[in-house]
Amino acid sequence: MPPTVPLVWYQILAAILFTIGVVGVLVRRSALVIFMSIELMLNAVNLSFVAFSRQHASMDGHIFVFFVMAVAAAEVAIGLAIIVAIFRNKETASVDDVHLLKG
Amino acid sequence: MFESLLFAVFAGIAIGCALGVVFHRNPVHCALLLVGVLLSVAGIFILLHAQFVAALQVIVYAGAIMVLFLFVVMLLNIKGETPLLTPGAAKGFGFLFALIVFVELIWTAVQPGSEGQKMPEAVPLPSDFGSPAALGRVLYTVWLYPFEITSILLLVAVIGAVVLAKRKFF
Repeated sequence: MPPTVPLVWYQILAAILFTIGVVGVLVRRSALVIFMSIELMLNAVNLSFVAFSRQHASMDGHIFVFFVMAVAAAEVAIGLAIIVAIFRNKETASVDDVHLLKG
Repeated sequence: MFESLLFAVFAGIAIGCALGVVFHRNPVHCALLLVGVLLSVAGIFILLHAQFVAALQVIVYAGAIMVLFLFVVMLLNIKGETPLLTPGAAKGFGFLFALIVFVELIWTAVQPGSEGQKMPEAVPLPSDFGSPAALGRVLYTVWLYPFEITSILLLVAVIGAVVLAKRKFF
């Protein structure tokens, strides 16, 4: 059965989701929301992988999604541990208040 | 026709919830809206015959990772930020760069290609496409070494999270 939704629509949806994630990373101040925006961008890329995988009838895109999910899980565990450590010491989760490297 | 309708519904929910994630004030609402995005993307995965990846998406992302997020939000008792966005010129530059990225992505998606060739027609799918058996067959043969290295990555992440959560910094 050929796909009724053309590939380019999936690509456009992935582009929109990725851009919303970029906006979140660039304009929000809460470290937690920035992390959620990164998850949004990873999901947009996963969508792109799966759409190309379906177009070429190859399972390799699904494998890439699998690895992206593993890396995202590791990244969230470490990132949230860092946020908790910062919050315990500085009582804030805003990236504007963390400027130890600024000198 | 039915597939297009489902795609439109899932895409609309995903975009709406994604905007909510970025522009909602309360972090708990942001996390729950992100679950909405993840679930509708899982629905789109099923439209693309990726059943196993869709199940992974629901279990790993919407299950495990989002529980971690909600747990941290409630543990830290973070209030809604005021002001919501970065002040001044940083906000303007943020939106400007996001717009540039968007235009570039759309241009890459819709342009016909360097020699003007069209995207190749979709290849007919084998009957077990997207099933756990087919994914496992590829994962444990072609991609065996990356799979094993992933286990080391997860081990490092676990150790790192425990060390970071225990020690006092600064």
